[in-house]
Amino acid sequence: MHGSELHGKKTNPNACGEVGFPAFEDSISTLFAPIIISFSTMLTEGDSYTSFTTENNHIYVLHQFDECLYIAVNGDGEEKEEDLRRKIYVMNKMIEVLFGMVTLSGNLLRKELRARDTEQRLRLWKHLQSLLETYSHLRENDQSFLVEAVERLIHPTLCEQCIEFLERRLVQQINSSAERGGEEVLHAFILVHTKLLAFYSSRNASTLSASDLLALIIMAQNMYPSNVDVDDPSPEDIDSTSGSGHESFYTPEPSPTDKDSSSSEKPVRGSTPVFEFVDPDIQMAEDSLSTLEVCPPDPATPHRVFLEVSQKDGLYPMMPHSMYCLPLWPGITLVLLTKFPHSGVAMSVYTFLEAFAKLEKRLNEGQGGSTRGQPMHEVRSKLDKFLKTLALNGIQSSQLQNVWTEFKNRAFSRGGPGFSRDLIPWCKNMKTQLCGIYRQCFLSDSGPDDTPRRLSPGLQERAQTMVQEKLMDWKDFLLVKSKRNITMDFPGLIHFICVDRSSGQMIAPSLSITERTTSELGKGPVAQYIKNKMWSLVSTTRHYLQKGYSTLTLRDGDFYFCYFLWFENETGFKLEAKDIPTMPDDSAPIGMLARDYYRKLLRYYSKNHPGEPVKCYELLTVHLGVIPTEIILQHCRQLASKLWEPSRNPLL
Amino acid sequence: MAELLQPDSRMCNYFFLYDGSKVRGEADPTRDGICYFFPEETPLDKQELLCGQLAGVGRCVSELSSSPTRTLRLRRNKFAIRMKDDFFWALGCSVDVPTVSVSEFLDQLIDLFCFYNGPVRRSYQLNSQETLAARWARYLSHLQSGSSELSHIFSCLRTIDSTNVDPLLLLKAALILQACQRCPLVLAGCILFRGRVVSTQMSPGLTMKVMVHESETYTKAQRPNGTSASSSFSGTVSSTTVFLTTPELQDLQSAPVDKGFSCPTTPQRDGPSKKTRLSRTLSDTPSTESQLSNPSSSQPPQKAYLSPRLSDLDVFSPAPSHSAANSLNPSPQSLRPSLSNGEHSVEDETEESRSRNSTGGRSQIHSEGDGSVFEEDSHLNGGEGEGAFGGVFDFQAVESGNEQPHDDKVVEEDSSVSCGSVSGHNAGKSDPPPLLPPPHRLSDASEENALIPMTLYMHRVKGLVLALLVEPHFMSDATSMEEVYHSSLASLNGLEAHLRTISPGAPGGPGPYTFAHFDCVQSTLTTNLSGRSGGAWDQPFVRATSLLHSHFCNTETLQEAIIRSASTAVYGTRSVAQETYFQQNGGSLRNSGIPNHQDSAFSLPSKARHRLLKHGVNLL
Repeated sequence: MHGSELHGKKTNPNACGEVGFPAFEDSISTLFAPIIISFSTMLTEGDSYTSFTTENNHIYVLHQFDECLYIAVNGDGEEKEEDLRRKIYVMNKMIEVLFGMVTLSGNLLRKELRARDTEQRLRLWKHLQSLLETYSHLRENDQSFLVEAVERLIHPTLCEQCIEFLERRLVQQINSSAERGGEEVLHAFILVHTKLLAFYSSRNASTLSASDLLALIIMAQNMYPSNVDVDDPSPEDIDSTSGSGHESFYTPEPSPTDKDSSSSEKPVRGSTPVFEFVDPDIQMAEDSLSTLEVCPPDPATPHRVFLEVSQKDGLYPMMPHSMYCLPLWPGITLVLLTKFPHSGVAMSVYTFLEAFAKLEKRLNEGQGGSTRGQPMHEVRSKLDKFLKTLALNGIQSSQLQNVWTEFKNRAFSRGGPGFSRDLIPWCKNMKTQLCGIYRQCFLSDSGPDDTPRRLSPGLQERAQTMVQEKLMDWKDFLLVKSKRNITMDFPGLIHFICVDRSSGQMIAPSLSITERTTSELGKGPVAQYIKNKMWSLVSTTRHYLQKGYSTLTLRDGDFYFCYFLWFENETGFKLEAKDIPTMPDDSAPIGMLARDYYRKLLRYYSKNHPGEPVKCYELLTVHLGVIPTEIILQHCRQLASKLWEPSRNPLL
Repeated sequence: MAELLQPDSRMCNYFFLYDGSKVRGEADPTRDGICYFFPEETPLDKQELLCGQLAGVGRCVSELSSSPTRTLRLRRNKFAIRMKDDFFWALGCSVDVPTVSVSEFLDQLIDLFCFYNGPVRRSYQLNSQETLAARWARYLSHLQSGSSELSHIFSCLRTIDSTNVDPLLLLKAALILQACQRCPLVLAGCILFRGRVVSTQMSPGLTMKVMVHESETYTKAQRPNGTSASSSFSGTVSSTTVFLTTPELQDLQSAPVDKGFSCPTTPQRDGPSKKTRLSRTLSDTPSTESQLSNPSSSQPPQKAYLSPRLSDLDVFSPAPSHSAANSLNPSPQSLRPSLSNGEHSVEDETEESRSRNSTGGRSQIHSEGDGSVFEEDSHLNGGEGEGAFGGVFDFQAVESGNEQPHDDKVVEEDSSVSCGSVSGHNAGKSDPPPLLPPPHRLSDASEENALIPMTLYMHRVKGLVLALLVEPHFMSDATSMEEVYHSSLASLNGLEAHLRTISPGAPGGPGPYTFAHFDCVQSTLTTNLSGRSGGAWDQPFVRATSLLHSHFCNTETLQEAIIRSASTAVYGTRSVAQETYFQQNGGSLRNSGIPNHQDSAFSLPSKARHRLLKHGVNLL
């Protein structure tokens, strides 16, 4: 990962780690302590650091999510400030996917990330580290992770067949099996490397967001890495790692024997990022803090992932799902996402968390008295009912019960202080307790009823075999196809990427050229050069987009680059352009993986088109500089209109 | 001057100098380390907070990376940082300002301080903190003053609007400078008018530094007691010690200014054999144009009285150039009396100095000069107007002084450091700060960072200033000084009179297009943007220009770019020597968004090429 180092840290640097934990963690703490202390000092003064640079071009990027301060450092010039910031956001996204609403409580998250059991903590950090490495590798080599949109394998007939197979055969069979352990398959998809061959969602499932799908692809790749770049003529990931070690500030100690099945299978890439969280005292009921297994050694045990669910009454982030990753052949994977019982608890917890957060905000703004906590009366009865449900389901909730009783005494009793600022600590306390319930239900190994919640290993195996049989004849074709998805037929056009931001999908000719499959670009340095240009172009366009510019052309060296972002309605009619908001340099990175910029952009744009579905597209092209601009623009126009024709079959 | 008084506050929200050596122990209060803090009215605890935190983090980062920290960015402020020895400088501005520009601004500010005060550590040993605080404040306000956002983006020199000025005047200014340079003690000079550059022989960086003193003496001159000039030169000459870096000095000494060829007509005569321009002056381009256009255009009246003047000329150049300047006056009749009134004393002095000179070792200059003058005289009589200026100045074409090895100067410089106290010569002169350079080369600087004391000589004629960088003993060399003074006085008067009458161009509303053209070599900016008006139509252009400029700075291979939002489209193009930005105003942009060759943004390059030709910007 190009000699960069991502350093997560709690803002309280005083309480330091336990005896016996690797010494470099402590030395990192000492080295960064002045920065961390100053960060919180400046924050209390109302401003805080976002980045530093030095004369030898080292870059430091800092960002705080809730109580977690992330510091990312690059010293070899391979990554820019924007890349580091993106990495921090992606890391945060992965932690949200892994820990869900536990991330909403600083205390609880700290417990998770800095478990007392050194062995367990090490395992978790190894897992996070390897996720980050996998992401970095994809970000540097895979176009779909460059632009953060899912790439489909373009083969409409096979795609249709597979979807039908997933629906009629696979999902139906699993969901009607007695061995499903109370789980229900909501989504099933087949990945060829990082490309999507087929995606099926059951009727009662909500749409899987592009952000979550990309995060799941990272996880799948982390478990079963494609060796797609082994025969790549330019394995820059290997080059960069060899040079990166000496640029970082320390050499991580050799990792202990790896017991983690997920990371032991993948090759080591890049220098090792190091995370560290310092653990201050946590005021939390110990009853809900039983030891957790984040990466279970048993491959049949699914990964718990927390994904966004859209319901009629709104969006519910971080709802619990299980993820089953079933390898079919090297490079081809079947992924199943299931929902399990009690997930209604997660929705209730989220609703209550939201209510207390809103109340806290109102109280902070000094409005508590005027509203008399009107919405809280409704919450009151719901929460009372919720507590009864928890008890019925055998979920430990005595701490929550106690805090809630105290809260009610203060807020609702006649003699009590009512809705004043004094209630703020109790709001916080309630939120922590709610997160504790959530953690107990969805992050611990066994559910409240102590039954193993997963599809039985036999059922998983049968699912795997079924899909293998179905795709047996297609296997080799798919692996080749995934490397040469589409080809182009425009003289002078060197490369393009087209993205449908409404669906989070992209199309582009392949850039990873192997001995067997050669694209228009040929092989070797030229292809590598174009690849580098493409990568820097994407970062440039994002910079301008951030400042409100949605069209860009650049004459750079021997090449001519174009970038367009535009809106259409569903019938493909171009909608009028509208100035898009400008944002500060340190705002969330533009993309769909960590924070979905385009969803916000669409929402902003749709204000002028109420009731009408709006689509958003992007096109990037690279032409030879000698081609007249009129021709280049003509190509761009043709690409824009052809690529997303209803048949979804690009006429190239 | 009023135009100089509106600081663009966005460029600098905070500036401070913090001396870490003063705060070593745990118990040392942070305030002991604060040498200067802007804004000065900031409460002390806030000052301590910022200095303490930023200096602490800066040090930590530089230790982690084994390299000085360059920028510290916060959510709401962006700080350019410089760390040297134990000093820590921070300049904070709004996050919208390009990082390149803030860093450049801070460099300029520190360089400026060193230029007038020498090494920082030494200045703080010799002067009180208050004295130096006043100077930091002055330099800061000077750098911030009067310029538009655009000029901050490019860190460019403020120049007179050459589109409003007769090119002949620019040529004239260049010639005055060349004449002065004939004195071997003069390194280089520039002419400024009301805080703007008319002509300069120095690098943009040096010119910028010199301009601070100019604006300062100008302000003082406005006040009754402020003048600090030598009594013997009618209260118009002043000098101050300045410090040049070794590269700056080498640059000046090796500049293509060949004193033997200090004639602008030479290149024309010599044709291609002439290897470089005479000097880097603002007027180079216009003067060439004027020379070419003169014979055919409005110049004939000159000759009528140039010749008579020349005939009664002595060897000194001021008279002819003076007459040349005045020759532009509409009424030849009124010219004579006014001249004689104004110049008699000068001529007396001239006589005096000449006699002195003739006894000195440089009499040959005059004989050489004489010969030249005659040559030119006949040349003039030949009727070529263009020769009028160049010719007269050619009188010492082969001046031996210029052949003097420059090494000598360096050697001399050592012994002449004590000439920092040049005021001995001009008893009344008190303008230089009470700072006396030590008798040795300033030892606390490493060899490449050495600062070499020189003298900045200034001759003011109302709003016009002739600023010369001279060897320190120039001020004690009465002969040289008088020679330079008198050789330029009349010309300066004439130039001033003309420049004064030029009315500034009308600010005007938004034209059909907006452009900015930055000359990277001369660091000058040409734009039709209405300066400080800050009009709503300017903002999108300035913002886009700022983004594109940063992009050009960071991407060497980038040649041109069009960026467009729904409401604005700006075209930017650059070469090694220039950057040009163009925006079409009025009329809504058509067909934006989806790729469309009819999108009006894509016609910008051809429009720019077309429209900017008349501004002398050639994009072909």
